Amino acid sequence: MKKSLFDQASILFSGLFFLSTGYLDEQFCQVEDLQDEASPNFVEEVVTLFFKDSGRLMSNIEQALEKYPRDFNRWDAYMQQLKGSCSSIGASRMKNECMSFRDSCGQGNVEGCMRSFQKVKREHAVLRQKLESYFQLLRQAGSAGAATRPVM
Amino acid sequence: MARKMIRVLLVDDEEINRVVARAALKAAGGGGDVLDEAENGAVAVQRVRDAVAAAAPYDLVLMDKQMPVMDGHEATRRIRDMGVTTPIVAVSSDGLPADVEAFITAGADDFTSKPLSKEKLGIILAKFRLT
Repeated sequence: MKKSLFDQASILFSGLFFLSTGYLDEQFCQVEDLQDEASPNFVEEVVTLFFKDSGRLMSNIEQALEKYPRDFNRWDAYMQQLKGSCSSIGASRMKNECMSFRDSCGQGNVEGCMRSFQKVKREHAVLRQKLESYFQLLRQAGSAGAATRPVM
Repeated sequence: MARKMIRVLLVDDEEINRVVARAALKAAGGGGDVLDEAENGAVAVQRVRDAVAAAAPYDLVLMDKQMPVMDGHEATRRIRDMGVTTPIVAVSSDGLPADVEAFITAGADDFTSKPLSKEKLGIILAKFRLT
């Protein structure tokens, strides 16, 4: 059973990363490499922090889009923060949508910004779902009591 | 082999960046390092001032650009105005030449892109002979 769960976790991680779906990039591996015996849940803690931060930042952006029409500088500043947060864990697809939004800001394109922001939200939701499943699988597999990536 | 202990000031308003940088610094061989954190430029300037007053200056400052209250450019300028020569490395996701130039003009010694990693920190520590 444990081996099967490891396999499932491996497959899920592969889907996220190795199969070029691009949800996560090399930075996620860098974060995993920072996990050690002294910080056995480091990866999950960072990911949890990411979703807490990104939720707040997206809420700020949503409010700014409504309260400050055509304030591209403000919109861009908020999205830059969110993009930086995405970079921290290697959330590459979400980061790319953040960059599209910023491009639209630079062009003064309101509709482009709105479209991009919807995509940012979608990518955020999908990534959250995938990572939650991933960590749940790892916990169930009981990887030495910590949520660590199975060795590929 | 662990290197000598150093005092580092990490300046970034985003907690996730500070968490990752903290772990990256530890992984770069500095388990015993003193790592202080500041969530904006104004706090950073005060931390540097306090460290100098305590005769325990920082060996390295890692400075984010965009922060509330006081940004990284202004904080760097004020630290230099105090006569502090501690290496300041700007850390930003915007690696545009104009951005880098602005930081160097403000008094930063180097620039690296976000996010920080064990490898990037290793390069920085080696460059400033903190290994």
